[in-house]
Amino acid sequence: MTQYLNQLNTADKLATEPWPEDATIYQPYEAEQILLPENASCLAVKAYLKMCNLPFGVRSCANAEHMSPGGRMTKLPFIRAGAFIFAEFEPIVNFVEQKDMAIGSWQDEDEKADMRTYVSLVENIFTMAELYISFKNERVYKEVTAPRNGVVFPWPLNHMQNYGKRRNALKLLKVYQWDDLDIESVIEKVAKCCETLEYKLKEIPDTPFFYGDQPCELDAIAFGHLFSILTTNLPNMALAQTVQKFKHLVEFCRFVDEKYFQTRFLPE
Amino acid sequence: MSKDSKYDLSKIYARVDRVNVSGLLRTHSDYVMRAADALFKANNFQDLMLEAMSAKSYLHELGIFKDVSVHIDISRGSDASPQGYEVTFKGNEYSRMMGSAGTEIGQNEGSLRTELTIPNIFGRGESISLQGSYSSTRANDLQLKFWKPFFHTRFMENRPEVSFSLFRQTDRFDISSFQSTNLGYLVDFSAHTMLGVDLTHSLQYENSIREVGLLNKSVPFGIRDHCGPKLASLLRYSVIYDNRDGNVFPTRGVLLKSVNEYCGLGGNIAYTSSTAHGEVNVSLFAGLVAQFCGRVGVLKETKQTTQLPLSSLFYCGGPLTLRGFKFGGAGPVIDGTPIGAQTFWATGAHLWAPLPFAGVFKNLASHFRMHFFYNLGNSNSFTTENMRSSFGMGLAVKLAERARIELNYCIPVKRQATDKITNGFQFGIGYEFV
Repeated sequence: MTQYLNQLNTADKLATEPWPEDATIYQPYEAEQILLPENASCLAVKAYLKMCNLPFGVRSCANAEHMSPGGRMTKLPFIRAGAFIFAEFEPIVNFVEQKDMAIGSWQDEDEKADMRTYVSLVENIFTMAELYISFKNERVYKEVTAPRNGVVFPWPLNHMQNYGKRRNALKLLKVYQWDDLDIESVIEKVAKCCETLEYKLKEIPDTPFFYGDQPCELDAIAFGHLFSILTTNLPNMALAQTVQKFKHLVEFCRFVDEKYFQTRFLPE
Repeated sequence: MSKDSKYDLSKIYARVDRVNVSGLLRTHSDYVMRAADALFKANNFQDLMLEAMSAKSYLHELGIFKDVSVHIDISRGSDASPQGYEVTFKGNEYSRMMGSAGTEIGQNEGSLRTELTIPNIFGRGESISLQGSYSSTRANDLQLKFWKPFFHTRFMENRPEVSFSLFRQTDRFDISSFQSTNLGYLVDFSAHTMLGVDLTHSLQYENSIREVGLLNKSVPFGIRDHCGPKLASLLRYSVIYDNRDGNVFPTRGVLLKSVNEYCGLGGNIAYTSSTAHGEVNVSLFAGLVAQFCGRVGVLKETKQTTQLPLSSLFYCGGPLTLRGFKFGGAGPVIDGTPIGAQTFWATGAHLWAPLPFAGVFKNLASHFRMHFFYNLGNSNSFTTENMRSSFGMGLAVKLAERARIELNYCIPVKRQATDKITNGFQFGIGYEFV
């Protein structure tokens, strides 16, 4: 009973309190530490908040993953907004939507359900592919993933942390039945997902976003993953090469980057 | 006893011709050699008896025998001297493997403990033990320890001992909503010195991974910031002076104890920490004992410090430091959650009294005492301003010459607005109280 009341109370608070000025996103260090799947989900959240036009700060800290309240996949990023803490894209989006400041309120229920399908498709396929390339590809793991993940820990703690992180990643891949795929099947899955996205993008031609002139969740998460894959240098660029084949998606990334971030990391 | 004057044993000449130690199956004979040293020096029968007794307890301390018995006989044979004696120690060695299970008293907690020991592996007292303890409230422990005493060397008086342990230890700090898991190894060297005063020293090197985890979802960021694993590499030196006549209910004597840590020899945790604990007991009249205790702790940053570790902070308050407060309840808070302090001090004055009618149940009553206490203390400040205090009375029970259990009625007198108190009955269990 009390628990139920508490939940009710929390939901009430969520809806009534305004967006806190000091909302902060916590993430690992971008230059030295962050891994591809984490970078993608952090970028997706940032893109979403920018699209909503909500102010937020970014704090990089070495133990961001351990500070996170936990999540389904990368546990990152997590947002601290007043007394609330939420981790990963979907919980953060749900939190923002409770406040009526979210983009996508113009969509009707059907369109929303349709879009949610795309969002979870994009999140699952790309996160798994990113985890696969980071942890299952021996060269990428040895040359990029392990050194970056271990950089904040002294020896021999770095090796133990790498071992634990890899074990968890492989476990997650196993849960989603990606562990026994070869790289060709992974690329095939990614290509298929890109194809679906490009088809969706072309459904309403001459508009910059997936659902017309205004951005929605799908734009944020697709941008986060596609842009990260395109701009991250790995010893194995199979994923980036796959995405590059879809010119409309690359163009979409360039547009969103120009509009919200202006990093201009994407080569012309 | 009245015959003492007639048969004064110290006037009977005696000489030890032979010392036998039997029952050595796995033990090397050089390991027990020193037991005989003092016996050969005895020149009257009383000395011989006393030395035989101390040799017996020495053999016990060597940690190879389950029990030892002494036999003294006149020496026979061709090379026996006229007043010669032969002393035989019959020992019964430990079995290859020993197991035990039971309860153990830690600071403010009781726990379930199991232990498996392989004593005397290489024949000179070297032993290995695997120890696990579990308690529902605070700590879980798993330890694999190898130790080797050097009691048989010429430093036998110093009781030197070296040990190496691997450990995994979980400490729950419920009041601050976090737990700390330590995994690592520890090398320990301990010895006594007798330069004027008897001191027990222990020098340790510890290398461990300390991981801070959270116990619930709504944890202040000041605590959340510390999450994740870190590597600690530290030296710890502790010294103890103890001349009390008992561990739990002493009637006279002084205990001084100091533990100093320097952390930051590699790894990414850096701090220095010192704690001192003192206790003075004065016997009054009619079995009353006055006791004064004090404890001080200081945690300092070093040049390499980026963040002082949460689990090394001092928690003031609770039945072991400031009675009448909850464990850790008399310290600083962040966002309403108590957190340990960088410095603290606590003092206590006690008046211990035997139970009324203690004479009737002598044996049982020796395990019980009544006390009146007054506690003073504070966190993060060495002034008496804003300090905390409480007084009360209670009943204490002795457990196995080591720990005591207290049930007190406490009345907090001075407190801060953020403090968490327990006005009324409070239960305490531990071995080092203030």
